[in-house]
Amino acid sequence: MARFDYLEPHSVDEALQMLAEHGDKTRLVAGSTDFLVRWRTGVWRPESVVCMQHVPGLDYINWNPDDGLSIGAMASVQDIELNTEVRSRYPALAAGATSFAGVQVRNLATVAGNICNASPAGDTLPALLAYNAQCRIIGPSGERSLPLDELFVGPGRTALAAGEILTEIRLPPPAPNTGGLYIKHSPRGAMDISAVGVASVVSLNDDGTCASARIALGSVAPTPLRAYGAEGRLVSQTPDAANIAEAARLASQSCNPIADVRSGADYRREMVRVLTERTLQHGVATAGDTPSFDDIRRLAVQTAW
Amino acid sequence: MTTTTQFKVLEQNHPRVDAYEKVTGRATYASDVYLPGMLACKLLPSTRNHARIVSIDTSAAAALPGVRCVITGTDFPDIRFGSGALRDRYVMPREVVNFVGEPVAAVAADDEATAQEAIDLIKVEYEDIPSVVNPLAAMGEGAASVHPDLESYEGYGFTLGHNVSTLLDADRGDVEQAFRDADVVVEDVYRSQGINQGFLEPMACVADVEPSGRLVIYASTQGPYQIRAGLAAVLEIPVSRIRVVPMELGGGFGAKLRLAFEAFPALLAMRTGRPVKLVNTREEVFTMNGPRLPVTNYIRSGVMNDGTIVAREAYTIFDVGAYLGAGPNSGIGHGIGAYRIPNFRLRSYGVYTNKIYVGSYRASGVADMTFAVESHMDHIAHQIGMDAYDLRLHNALREGDVSVSGAVVPSNGLIETLEAIKEKIDWPRQLEDGHGLGLALCEWRSGSGPSTAAISVNDDGTVSLLTGSTDISGSDTSLAAIAAEALGIPMGSVVVAKRDTDMAPYTGQSGGSRVVYSQGTAVQRAAEETVQKLIALAAERLGVPEDALGCEDGRVYVMDNEPQGLTFAQLAAASITSRGGPIIGTASLSSMPYTPVFAAQAAEVKVDRGTGQVKVLRYIQAQDVGVAINPMAVEGQLDGGVVQGIGRALTEDQQFDPDTGAVRNPSFASYLMPLAIDLPESEVVLIKVPAEDGPFGARAVAEPPGFGPPAAIANAVYDAVGVRVKQLPLSGERVLAALNGDYDDIPFDVEALRLAEGII
Repeated sequence: MARFDYLEPHSVDEALQMLAEHGDKTRLVAGSTDFLVRWRTGVWRPESVVCMQHVPGLDYINWNPDDGLSIGAMASVQDIELNTEVRSRYPALAAGATSFAGVQVRNLATVAGNICNASPAGDTLPALLAYNAQCRIIGPSGERSLPLDELFVGPGRTALAAGEILTEIRLPPPAPNTGGLYIKHSPRGAMDISAVGVASVVSLNDDGTCASARIALGSVAPTPLRAYGAEGRLVSQTPDAANIAEAARLASQSCNPIADVRSGADYRREMVRVLTERTLQHGVATAGDTPSFDDIRRLAVQTAW
Repeated sequence: MTTTTQFKVLEQNHPRVDAYEKVTGRATYASDVYLPGMLACKLLPSTRNHARIVSIDTSAAAALPGVRCVITGTDFPDIRFGSGALRDRYVMPREVVNFVGEPVAAVAADDEATAQEAIDLIKVEYEDIPSVVNPLAAMGEGAASVHPDLESYEGYGFTLGHNVSTLLDADRGDVEQAFRDADVVVEDVYRSQGINQGFLEPMACVADVEPSGRLVIYASTQGPYQIRAGLAAVLEIPVSRIRVVPMELGGGFGAKLRLAFEAFPALLAMRTGRPVKLVNTREEVFTMNGPRLPVTNYIRSGVMNDGTIVAREAYTIFDVGAYLGAGPNSGIGHGIGAYRIPNFRLRSYGVYTNKIYVGSYRASGVADMTFAVESHMDHIAHQIGMDAYDLRLHNALREGDVSVSGAVVPSNGLIETLEAIKEKIDWPRQLEDGHGLGLALCEWRSGSGPSTAAISVNDDGTVSLLTGSTDISGSDTSLAAIAAEALGIPMGSVVVAKRDTDMAPYTGQSGGSRVVYSQGTAVQRAAEETVQKLIALAAERLGVPEDALGCEDGRVYVMDNEPQGLTFAQLAAASITSRGGPIIGTASLSSMPYTPVFAAQAAEVKVDRGTGQVKVLRYIQAQDVGVAINPMAVEGQLDGGVVQGIGRALTEDQQFDPDTGAVRNPSFASYLMPLAIDLPESEVVLIKVPAEDGPFGARAVAEPPGFGPPAAIANAVYDAVGVRVKQLPLSGERVLAALNGDYDDIPFDVEALRLAEGII
């Protein structure tokens, strides 16, 4: 097995320094759940690894009505799944977290790591996109903020510059009368990479029309992506069955899936339509409610509706 | 017939005799073997599926510090061996590779990382040869030959057609006339997929050379004697120069029945004089060790309007990959299922292709046949407008019928299994939209083969039980229970000996539902001989005739005067100075009479009309087990089999590249076995019609549970949404396509096969 130097910073500044010193032959890791697999199979061969596990104070999940949700870079996927604010205010994110791998991996893996890994199949990513996540990034030349939607560049590639660290993810507070859901499509109910994943978040006006609709798709393009065309079809419209069906059709046209060992391309496209329809319907039906986590989990992972 | 009350040990739950060491993590598996000076072995897989090896340059690998030995195919004797009916392969290819993943070189080094580094330094130059991956295409005259010298192979003789390794046939009656007489003829083609055995413990072994020069192999295996024979053949040394020590088995399901990779560390150990360990990665298990390969089944039946099936024709194409790693192609007798069909023509082809060779898996081929036959039964029922349960009951085999092999069917519980599931699932029943019920009937026979046992009485009154069978799924516990029952002592008084091929008498593999049935019979007979010897000794010491003595609760006593008697402990002590000497009972047998096993199964499913995905809500199985030696072990076997069957029905699919034959999903991240969340609660009914043979009336248990789920679930999908999917697995993609009407029948040119045989 390839050897590497293991570096353990105790602050973000120290981590930045280490990244600067070791250049592009180093890799920053958080939970290491992706890293270890790819290192063992020889896909990644870094000369050094900077491990963030011992940087204190980064594992927070904070919520307040003005700023919304702040997720520290070391908050685990399990922390997100268990967080009561996430469950009640960001149900699609809770759904993404609970459908992610298995419990042992969720305990180690971080949301920030899931983002930086930039897999089109990352289960937390569609929900984060649908909640308009902002990334707080610290680098050698200071701090910047970037919408998550602009972070994904390609499979495994992000807009992070060399030496930069994603330290926090912020989700704005949801508008009143908002509902949402993420559904993971997989032949099994757990422990699988999603063949398709769709998150929808809908906010309704008092008259029942759509104030906003955000739809994000996973595993059907080189990156997770927003279905803007489908979203636009719903805004200011009544989210009835016909409009939702039309939005779902537009969403399925907006993606560019591949065929692989999991699924054919046409089937993936059709699943985008079906899951978009289901997540939108659920979002509309539960707008303003606090759905039970058991329901969220069941809907996110069940293999047959 | 109820048998429960007559037993003191059987029909009661017994924790496994090895539970403590397994639960505490102290059971020793092959990868736990560490010997002084041990080297690590790694293998180089072929990157081509059909190519001549022009050269292999191992110089850089051999020069790497820490590397002790590098071997290639020409380091082995020039001997072809076979795992199936033909001697069709070299243990490591000498001139030609036949599948992507075939090991072409092996390295022994001080540690695994160095061994792998050396592997990466080996340069192989290949010259590609035309290849063929699809078995139906491979049978065509223009197709590339996987084995151009096939006709010269030892064992060849019953093939017919291009790339055909084996052709098995069974005929009875006037098939053509029966089809002409039939009211309705129903015809289908089914296809089942590649399946990996999915055992937990990857293949592992350690080879060592004793000071005497004898080779010792510690292996994860179901067949220590078969490894010994295989090694002796490929290394050209006598079996007596080899000792195989079977370690704890972390799952096998047929994949560990025969010689696998043991020859590589063995030769490396012989060359270096040091112990060598090989532990395969999961990817190597998927790409180097034979899985089950796709099966295509053409099936046609002639049926009368009252439901009587009068004729059956079945042509089955088994893809056997590069080599006949198991077999010959099994399943031939299963083309008629558990039914009385007077006229039949059954053909079963094994066809070579340039992909990984076929291996064994829990009654190889029968699950594929059952999917076809039992789906076809439902198709027949719908064609003639008969209830699917009634059709099965009407045609089911009865005592006195003649099986495909010609054996007369003895008493059995087939009808009772059918009745039990009908009641339990409440068949027939109207369900809500998208929900459905399906049935399947499974048949198998109790496994036979050489079986031996020896029992010696210890001077504390316990006995030691020695058999050559590797423990599989708790078979040691069941054998101990049989010995305890026959000897009239508690389970705790039976010590099951750890064994190897030097110590234990020769026995067949632990597979094919044979250990408890055949080996158990040997144990029962050895125990009975032990009791006879104990009685003879007691008669001598007590001065009474043998027929005046009884044996119960670890004691031989005078039947008219129970207080007068001798305990096993006293008899064991006495035996040491007796005329007969220490007491040992032994038994040996080579085959057992035909004892069928029947199981009926029922599935209740929900189909998602949007995604096509299928969820199994309930799964019920009723199996005739004869007598439950250890009920919780029996139920464990039934549960495990059905779980594997549900995986086969819905998610498991070992896929092959259509051009190179390379395995496309060599990992558990992409080869999806069902998880607890995907499975219904276990619902098991044990039917107990004692077998005329077998230990205390027990029948074999292990294989049939896995046969039924693909057909039962496919039939339930049809009941739910009205589409019949004839190809496994029943993925969402496939079911949705069927719902949308764009699902094509599988093409199959049966005329060409009939013509080749001269059948018009």
